[in-house]
Amino acid sequence: MTNTSHEVVKGPHHSGDAAPIALSAHSITKRFPGVLANDSVDFDVRAGEVHTLLGENGAGKSTLAAMLCGLYQPDSGYMLRNGEPISLSSPRAGLQHGIAMVHQHFRLVERFTVAENVVLGSRNLSFTLNRKSIDDKVAAVAESYGLPIDPQAIVGDLSVGQRQRVEIVKALYQGAEILLLDEPTAVLVPAEVEKLFENVHAMTAAGKSIVFISHKLGEVVEISDRVTVLRGGRVTGHVSGRGTTDTKELARLMVGRDINLSTQRASHPTGHEVLQIRELSLESEGVNLLSNISFNVHEGEMVGIAGVAGNGQRELADTIAGLLSPTSGSISIGGAMATDRGPIAARELGLAYVPEDRLGMGLVPSMSILDNLLLTRDRRIIVDRASVRPEATRLIEQFEIKANDADHIARKLSGGNAQKVLLARELSGGRAATKLLVVCSPTRGLDVGAIETVRRLLDDARSAGQAILLISEDLDEIMSLADRILVLYRGAIVHETRGEAAQLATVGAAMAGLNTEGAA
Amino acid sequence: MRAPFRIIFEQRSETPRYLSGFVPLVSVLAALLAGAIFLMATGYSVSETYSNMLQDGFFSSRGLTDTLGLSTVLICMGISAAFAFQMNLYNIGGEGQGYLGMIGGAWAGLALGPHLPSVVMIPALLLIGAAAGAAWIFIPAFVRARLGTSEIVTTLLLTYIGASLVNHFIYTPNSYFRAPDVVFPMGRTVADSAKLTAIGSTRMYPTFFLVVVLAVFLYWVVKRTEFGYRIQVIADSPRAAQYAGMNARRTTMQVMLISGALAGFGGATLIVGEFGKLDPGITMLGYGYAGIVIAALARNNFAAIIVSGILFSGLRVGGDKLQITTDTPIHIGVMLQGAILLFALGGEAFRRYKIRAVRMQAVTQ
Repeated sequence: MTNTSHEVVKGPHHSGDAAPIALSAHSITKRFPGVLANDSVDFDVRAGEVHTLLGENGAGKSTLAAMLCGLYQPDSGYMLRNGEPISLSSPRAGLQHGIAMVHQHFRLVERFTVAENVVLGSRNLSFTLNRKSIDDKVAAVAESYGLPIDPQAIVGDLSVGQRQRVEIVKALYQGAEILLLDEPTAVLVPAEVEKLFENVHAMTAAGKSIVFISHKLGEVVEISDRVTVLRGGRVTGHVSGRGTTDTKELARLMVGRDINLSTQRASHPTGHEVLQIRELSLESEGVNLLSNISFNVHEGEMVGIAGVAGNGQRELADTIAGLLSPTSGSISIGGAMATDRGPIAARELGLAYVPEDRLGMGLVPSMSILDNLLLTRDRRIIVDRASVRPEATRLIEQFEIKANDADHIARKLSGGNAQKVLLARELSGGRAATKLLVVCSPTRGLDVGAIETVRRLLDDARSAGQAILLISEDLDEIMSLADRILVLYRGAIVHETRGEAAQLATVGAAMAGLNTEGAA
Repeated sequence: MRAPFRIIFEQRSETPRYLSGFVPLVSVLAALLAGAIFLMATGYSVSETYSNMLQDGFFSSRGLTDTLGLSTVLICMGISAAFAFQMNLYNIGGEGQGYLGMIGGAWAGLALGPHLPSVVMIPALLLIGAAAGAAWIFIPAFVRARLGTSEIVTTLLLTYIGASLVNHFIYTPNSYFRAPDVVFPMGRTVADSAKLTAIGSTRMYPTFFLVVVLAVFLYWVVKRTEFGYRIQVIADSPRAAQYAGMNARRTTMQVMLISGALAGFGGATLIVGEFGKLDPGITMLGYGYAGIVIAALARNNFAAIIVSGILFSGLRVGGDKLQITTDTPIHIGVMLQGAILLFALGGEAFRRYKIRAVRMQAVTQ
C-alpha cells in the first residue's frame, strides 16, 4: 500500500486535459448474489472537475462509489490514486487517501453541535476538547469554501440543506481531496440545490474533485464537466463538456430507449367532491403535525401535495386513511363521515391508499403477491386463496408485473414491480370500489421505465373518474401531473395554485417556508 | 502482505429447498459427533453407548413405545413454543405453564370426584389444565400487548414461581393435593375415571394421537385461516398490519394465551397419563424447555415438530436407560439436547449464507 494521503493537488480552476487524474478505477467488477453490480467498469476523475455518475436505480453507480471510497472492495480490477496503486479496505483507508463520501442519508448526531459532528471520528483529538480552537478551525474550513455555517449550532435545529453542508465540511475537514456526493439533491428544495451547486464550484475551483451521483438529467447537465453513464452495471457512454449535452441523448444512454415522461394534464370536467377535509388538525406530544387543513378533491381530479419531507405529508395521508386520529376537524369520503373510524371503515367508503413505504407497510415482504392482494380485502375465517388466484393472475398480466406467478414473494420483486402490485391491489378495489386514491411518493426510487408506467396508471385512474390525492416530494412530478397543487409547510397549507399555472420558483419558495400569497 | 485466501460469507438470494431438511439433519449428526468426542475423552465406548441409546430409544418395541409415550408431552410443549414464535413472541415459560396445567388437571381430577364418567372427566381435566396454562401466561401476555414488556423475562420468571407453587402444594402439610398417608411427600392420585389406560402393555396413552392431530390442526390454522394470515402479517411487518386495520394487541393476547394453553394441555396429559397425580418430580424434567429446542429444530413448522419431538423423546428415553444398563452418566442425553440446539441455531447461517474461500485479489496493473 502506498500512502499518498497528504499530497495536495493544486489543479487549475477549470478542468482540462492538463489537470492530472486524481483517482482512477480500472476494469472494476463487483458481484452480489444473483447480480453483477459492476461489470468491468472504468472511471476516473481529474483534479478540479465534476465527473457525474449517471444511471437508474440498480445501474451500479452507488456500488461503484462505495468501492471508490472503500466501503466495498471490488472482486477484480484496480484503482490508482495520483497514478499509484491503492487498495482500500475501509472508508477510513479511503479517507487516508483523501477520498470521502457524502451519503444521501446523513450520518450526523442530531444532539451535537456542528463542530462536534465535524470532528467526530478524528483520531488526533486531545483528551480534553478545546472547543474554542475546534470551533475556529471548523469555521475556517467552512469559510474557505464559501460554506457559511455556525459551528456552535445544534445539528438537530438545522435544515436539510444545512445538514448536508455540515457533511461536506466534515469531509473537507478530514482532508478530503475527492468528494463523492451520493444523490445530494434528492432531499433539497430548488433554492438549496442552487446553493449546493455554488459550493461545488467553489470546491472545484480550489482543486477538489467531485464525483456527483445522480439520475436527474437536468441538474447533471448543469453541473458536470464530464458524465459517465451506467446501465445494468456497465458503462454505456462517456460525455464531456459542460452544458453542451442533450438530455435526450443522456436519457437514451441511461435507459436504452427513448423515453417520454411528459403527461398531458387531463382537462376532464371534475365532478362531485369525493374527499372533503375540514379544519383538520393533528397534535402529538405538543407538536402541531397538521394545523387547520381544509381542502376537497373531486371526481376525476388529481390534487398534488408538495412539500419537503417531514412537513406533515405522511401524517396527512395516514389520517385520511384512518390510521391516525385527528385532534380536531373532519374527513368525509364520498359524502360519508370517515373521521376517526379506522382504516377498514375508510376502505369501505372507497378509499385506497398507496403509502410511501412500499415494502413493510403497503406490502408484506415475506408474502406472495396473492397473499398481498388479500391484505386490504375482506378475508373470511378460512382464507380462500383459490378463488382469488384467477384475479391475481389477471392483475399480474394487466399491470405488466414481472413475476413468475401469483406465488412470487413480494421481497423478490424489483421496486417498480412492487409498486405495480401495490397499485394493482389498490386500484382494483377490495372492500368497495375505489373512489379515492391517496398515493405517496409513487415513483420514488423507481427507474425511468417504471416511472412512466406508474404515471400512466395514475392518469388512467383519473380519467376513469377516481379522485386522486398525490403526495410527493418530487416537485417535477407534481407539476407535471396535478390539476391543483397545495404546498404543505410545517403541517399547514401555505400555498395553492392551479397545476397549469404553477411556477417552479413560487412553489419552491412556498416549500421552503418563504412568505408567499396563495393564488387561485 | 495478507493471507492469499479469505473466507467470505455471501448472502444467498434464495435458500435452496433441500437445505431446509438438510440443516436440521446435519445439526443432529454434528451434535452426536460432539457427544462422541466427549464420550471418548471421558473413556466411554462411543459405539456401545450410541448403539445402546438407539436400541433403547427407537429399535426395540419397548423403547419405541416409551419414546412415543414421552413424545406426547414434548410435542405439545414444542407446538406451544412454536405457536408463539410464529409471531416473534418468545414464550420460554412453557415449562411453568405446564406445571400449572398439571396443577389444574390434578385439581379437576380430585375435585370433580369419582362419580363423573371418563368421557366427562378426561376432557374436563385436559381443558382445565389448558385453562390453567393460559391463566399463567395472562400477565406476561397483557403487559406485552399493552406496554411492550419483554415476554422472555416475564414468562421465564413465572416458571420459577410455578415450580414453587407445585412444591407448595406438595410439601405443605394438609395440602389439598398431598397424599395423606405416605412418608415421602407426594401428590394424591386422581379419581380412576380421570385416568386413561395405557395402550396394551406399553406406557403410551391415546393422548399421543390427540396431540399429533392438534399439531396438524395448528399447521392448518397458520396456513389457511384468517387468524394465521394475521399472525404472519404482524410478525413480518407491524406497519402493514396497522395499514390493513389489524389489531396487533388483541392478536398478541390471543397468540400468547393459546401458547400458554397448549403448554398447560401438555402438563394435563401427564395427569391423565403416566403420572396420575401432581408430582414434584416434574420440576426436574424440563419438558417445557425441551419444547423450545424441539420447535427450533423444526423451525417452527408444526408438522416437523412431530418428527423432532419423537427424535428428542427417543434420545431422552435412550439416554435415561443408559444410566440403568451401563454406568454412562445420564447427562449425555441432556448434553446432546443442548448440542442439537446449538448446532441447529448455528446451522441457520448456512441457510442464509454461502460460505466460500476466495483468493485475495492482487493489485495488478
